[in-house]
Amino acid sequence: MIQEQSLFAPGHRACAGCSMPTVVRLVLDATGPNVIVVSPTGCLEVTSTPFPESAWKVPWLHSLFENAAAVASGVETILKRQCKDTKVLVIGGDGSTFDIGMGSNSGMFERGHDIMYVCYDNEAYMNTGVQRSGSTPFCVHTTTTPSGEQSLGNPKPKKDMPAIAIAHHVPYVATASVAFPVDLRRKVKRAAELRGTSYLQINAPCITGWTFETGSTIEISRLAVETGLYPLFEFVNGKLADVKKIRPRPVTDYLKAQGRYRHLFKAPGGKEAIAAIQAIADENIANYGLAQE
Amino acid sequence: MPAQLIAGNSAVIIGAMYAGCDCFFGYPITPASEILHEASKYFPMVGRKFVQAESEEAAINMVYGAASTGHRVLTASSGPGMSLKQEGITYIAGAELPCVIVDINRAGPGLGNIGPEQSDYNQVVKGGGNGCYNNLVLAPNSVQEMCDLTMKAFDLAFKYRNPVVILADGVLGHMVEALKFPDEAYTPSIDTTWAVCGNHETRPNLVTSIELDFSKMEKHNFKLQDKYQKIRENEVQFETYMIGDAEIVLVSFGISSRIAKSVVDAARKEGLKVGLFRPITLFPFPSKELKALADTGCKFISIEMNNGMMREDIRLATGCANVDLVCRYGGRLIELEDIMKKIKEVA
Repeated sequence: MIQEQSLFAPGHRACAGCSMPTVVRLVLDATGPNVIVVSPTGCLEVTSTPFPESAWKVPWLHSLFENAAAVASGVETILKRQCKDTKVLVIGGDGSTFDIGMGSNSGMFERGHDIMYVCYDNEAYMNTGVQRSGSTPFCVHTTTTPSGEQSLGNPKPKKDMPAIAIAHHVPYVATASVAFPVDLRRKVKRAAELRGTSYLQINAPCITGWTFETGSTIEISRLAVETGLYPLFEFVNGKLADVKKIRPRPVTDYLKAQGRYRHLFKAPGGKEAIAAIQAIADENIANYGLAQE
Repeated sequence: MPAQLIAGNSAVIIGAMYAGCDCFFGYPITPASEILHEASKYFPMVGRKFVQAESEEAAINMVYGAASTGHRVLTASSGPGMSLKQEGITYIAGAELPCVIVDINRAGPGLGNIGPEQSDYNQVVKGGGNGCYNNLVLAPNSVQEMCDLTMKAFDLAFKYRNPVVILADGVLGHMVEALKFPDEAYTPSIDTTWAVCGNHETRPNLVTSIELDFSKMEKHNFKLQDKYQKIRENEVQFETYMIGDAEIVLVSFGISSRIAKSVVDAARKEGLKVGLFRPITLFPFPSKELKALADTGCKFISIEMNNGMMREDIRLATGCANVDLVCRYGGRLIELEDIMKKIKEVA
C-alpha cells in the first residue's frame, strides 16, 4: 500500500506506534512531489525537522501554532503570481486547526485559496503534554481535564470542525482514518485535483495521549470508525456525497481499549457517561446513515 | 508548615493559591505547561476557576476581562506565547489593571527550542507591546522564590494597578527543591474604588485604554510615568553576596545568579576578590545601588543567558562603558569555567 520510495523519509523522531508518519506518507503518496507543505508547530514539525535534519523530500515550511493557513495563503498567492500549478498543503494537528489557528483557517476558507488543509487529528495537544483541545471528545482524561472524584474528564463534546469548514462554503470537506488507507488516498487525490480549498480531517491515534499498546494503533483507529464515533464522510459543495458504511460495534469496544477512558469503567457516573458516548455514536450513525443495510 | 520537595512550576501555583488568586487562564506551552496542569487540578478543588483558553491571545484577554472586576488573576506562558500576549499586556498596562503573568523563558528567536534562556528580558522589562508602559518584573532564582515572589507579585500588582511579570526560565520551572509553604493564606477584599463589579456602587468606574483626545491621552501618560517613577523609588529589590571588598562584581539574575554564586565561592578560594550583585526586580532596575558600587571603583561582569540585554542596563546605571559579559543562549546554561576565565582576564 505504502510506496517504497516515500516523500516522507524514515529516521524521524515520532514515537513507536505513532499514526502521524503513516498519515503523512499516505497523503504524500497520493499527492506526488509537486507540492509545498506548510506545518504549524506540533508533533509533526518537532519530530520531522529537528534542525539540521529533515524527513521531508518536498519543500516544507514551518509556522507558529496559529498561522499555518495564513503562511500557506501567502505561498499559494505567490505561486499563482508565478503561474505555477504546485499544490499547497497544510498538514497540522488538531490544536492548531481547531483552536489557535481558527482565525487564519477561517480567512483561508473564506478567500478560497487553492490549498489542501490536512488535519491529523489526535484529539489533544500531544506535543506539549496531552492538554485538551477543541477536538478532545467527551469524557477524555487529559492533563487539563483530569479525571478524579469531581470530574469524569473533558466535560465538552468534540468540536465539529468539518461543519465549520462547510459553513465557509469549502467545496470539498472529508474525514478519513489511518485504518482505511484506500479510502484516505482516494480522498487526498480528490482534494488534490480540486481547484480551491479543501479540508481533510484524519483520525490519528496517539499512543501516549490515548494510552494503548504500540501495536494497536490501526486497530484503535478502525474501532473509532466502526463504533460510529469517527464517521468517515465526504461533503462536496456542502452536500453529503459519500459515507463509509459500518456494521456498528458498541462504543465500549473502543473505550476499553484506551487508557484515556479507563476512569469511566471505575468511577461513579462512568456508566451514564458511557451511555452518553454511545448516544453520540448513535446520533452519528443516524445523521450520516452509516449503518450497512 | 514543613518543607516539601516540589518543582518550580508547581510552586507558582502554591504561591498563587495562598495569595488568593481566583482565576487562572492559560494555554499550553513547554516549559510552562505544568503551571496550567497544576491550576486545572487544584484551583477547582477550592472553588477557584480554571479556564484553558484556545490561544495565548485569548488567555491574556481573559485576564484583562477578569482583572477588570478587581479579582486576583494569573496566566503563565513562555517566549513565543509571551510574544503573542503583548497586545493584551499593553492594554492591561494602559487600562491600569492588576494581574500576574509568569514567563518560563525558553530559547528563541522564533520557535527556538524548549531549553532555558533569559532572552525575554527586553520584551518583558522594556515593554514589548506598543506605547510607553512598564511591567513590574520579578526574577526568582529558586523554587522557594517561585512561590514567594508570585505572592509578592499579586501585592505589587494591586498596589500599583499594574501587570507584574515573573521572569523565570525552563530550569527554574522544572527543577525540584525544598519549598517552605507560606504561613498564611490570604483572602483579599475587592477594591471597589476602581473595579467594575456590575453593581450600582461601581457604575461610574471606567476600565479603558482608549483616549481619543490628545491632551487627555498625554495627561494619562504623565500619570503612568509618575507611577513608574514611584515604583523605581520604592520597589527595588536585590541581593548581594561578598561585595564588601569586591574588586570584580558579577551581576546576574534568575538561574544564572545561582551559577554566578558558585563562581564567587570558587574565586574567593583562589584569593580573587569577587562578589555577586543579583537584581531581584528587573523593573525597577537597581540602578542607584549599582552606581554606588561603581563609585567604589570595582569592575562589573554581567552574567546572563541572552546576548547581553541586562548589560545595557548596567552600563546605563553605572556609566561604565566597558562592562564585561559572559553569556550563553540557545538553550544551554553558562559554564562555571567560562565565568572563571573571564574573571582572570579582567582581574
